[in-house]
Amino acid sequence: MLKAKSRDSWGSRLGVIMAVAGSAIGLGNFLRFPAKAASNGGGAFMIPYFVSLFLLGIPLMWIEWTLGRYGGGFEHGTAPGIFHNLLRKNRFIKYFGIIGIFGPLVIFIYYTYIESWTLAYSLFSLSGKSAFITEQGAMQAFLKGFQGLERNRYFSGIMPAYLFFLSTFILNTCVIYYGIKGGIERLCKWAMPLLFSFAVILLIRVLTLGTPDASRPDWNIANGFGFLWNPDFSALKSAKVWLAAAGQVFFTLSVGIGVILTYASYLSKGDDVVLSGLTAASTNEIAEVILGGSIIIPAAFVFFGPGNIQAIADSGVFNLGFVTMPLVLNKLPLPQLMGFIWFFLLFLAGITSSVSLAQPAVAFLEDEFGITRKKAVGIFAVISFILCQPAIFFLKNGVVDELDFWGGTFFLVVFATVETVLFAWVFGIEKAWDEIHKGADMRVPRIYKFIIRYVTPLFLFVILGTWFLQEWLPIILMKNAAEADRPYILFTRIGLIAIFAVLAILVKTAWRKKRAQEEKLR
Amino acid sequence: MKAGGWVFLVLSWMLILSLAAFCFFRVFSKKELK
Repeated sequence: MLKAKSRDSWGSRLGVIMAVAGSAIGLGNFLRFPAKAASNGGGAFMIPYFVSLFLLGIPLMWIEWTLGRYGGGFEHGTAPGIFHNLLRKNRFIKYFGIIGIFGPLVIFIYYTYIESWTLAYSLFSLSGKSAFITEQGAMQAFLKGFQGLERNRYFSGIMPAYLFFLSTFILNTCVIYYGIKGGIERLCKWAMPLLFSFAVILLIRVLTLGTPDASRPDWNIANGFGFLWNPDFSALKSAKVWLAAAGQVFFTLSVGIGVILTYASYLSKGDDVVLSGLTAASTNEIAEVILGGSIIIPAAFVFFGPGNIQAIADSGVFNLGFVTMPLVLNKLPLPQLMGFIWFFLLFLAGITSSVSLAQPAVAFLEDEFGITRKKAVGIFAVISFILCQPAIFFLKNGVVDELDFWGGTFFLVVFATVETVLFAWVFGIEKAWDEIHKGADMRVPRIYKFIIRYVTPLFLFVILGTWFLQEWLPIILMKNAAEADRPYILFTRIGLIAIFAVLAILVKTAWRKKRAQEEKLR
Repeated sequence: MKAGGWVFLVLSWMLILSLAAFCFFRVFSKKELK
């Protein structure tokens, strides 16, 4: 028989806000946003960005907080149980909820490895191992050597990277092991202020760069900001720019993953979700637009100049974070300390996100199988550790990109669409509106009733349709993949189908057990 | 940086900071979790 047990809970309101903000604030805030803004109209990018934030991001945030708290009332912390309670008549709806466990698990598999690079680089900076490299080629060789992609004068194999992965994985497991209040909340309550302090230190450093090379007076910090913020209004005519802004808002707020559902399920029925959700979203925006938008691109402009900056902005997240930024910092006084601050900031952003990615799977085992947290964390640690291995050893074969596409892009949009339709149309907007406002500390403006019902779902369907035709179809058909990488990509897909199938079997088993238990009690 | 750049920077920062200030002010003046 399943044991009835009390669920974990948050210790304070600030704790849950910091945890949700911590989950949302990740590497993308400091690396993806500035690159996207610079490549999509500069200041003018902020028009579609804010439109997407208010029509897509914030409504989705409220939907997930509300659904999570609603599910928590039935002792369900993940989407299968929450969706089942929303629509009890339908026996298949719980299977759609699997995406809310599958997505975060898949992201966790590769995200922990990338997070471990930031921990490694923060120590490499502090120890001086990478702090004195000032050539772009050398810095790229350092990264490739570390990742095990080539043997060079910096690294002779993947072992250092693997040891840092092990340390990061153990750290994550320890945090989850201590639970919501004792682990995740405690971590986020010190990690978030520290992250913001580090970002402010870097911001001040960047703002005071001035014009370091007097022979190049145009290479100055004001023009660096100008590169990011000068508006190009012609970009607004392009659908690509609007989609890029919607995508950025989507990914930055961590909506559509399933993480917010799980975090909010640890709230009590009368706890506010309106103000708390908005506060977490606004905290994320400070980290993204104000801090993220003011560090890497303006600093890179000052040292690499207007001729190279566009190529740098388009060079990808890893190149920006692990090659360009350390090169910039290494040209400044105190390169070791500044490098440490930059990479440890990224590590804090990473770990507060990765623990949130682990939580849905752990909550699923606890809630639906009635097992203890310690046992659930043990099972999760063993399985996820095994699943992490292909991402580490087959990085060069496109495995991480493939995992990111399915877990971190495709299913995010699908899941957000499913939960929005369920919330606004199946559960019903009137009931949904009442549910949002239970215990609310502020009223949601009435216009949002219309937005949640019509605009947000429509927005999501447009994104889903356009991305599918324009961007996803070539990826699904492996059109851009190298011939040699295709077997690895195929193998990854088979693995992902297997994970999904196992989760479906687990959901079926859990519900069969519950039904048997209910029949026994009758 | 051109004047347009400054306008977008200042307006974006002000919007976000005002939203955050409004939220945190209300959070700290309202009740804790039950």
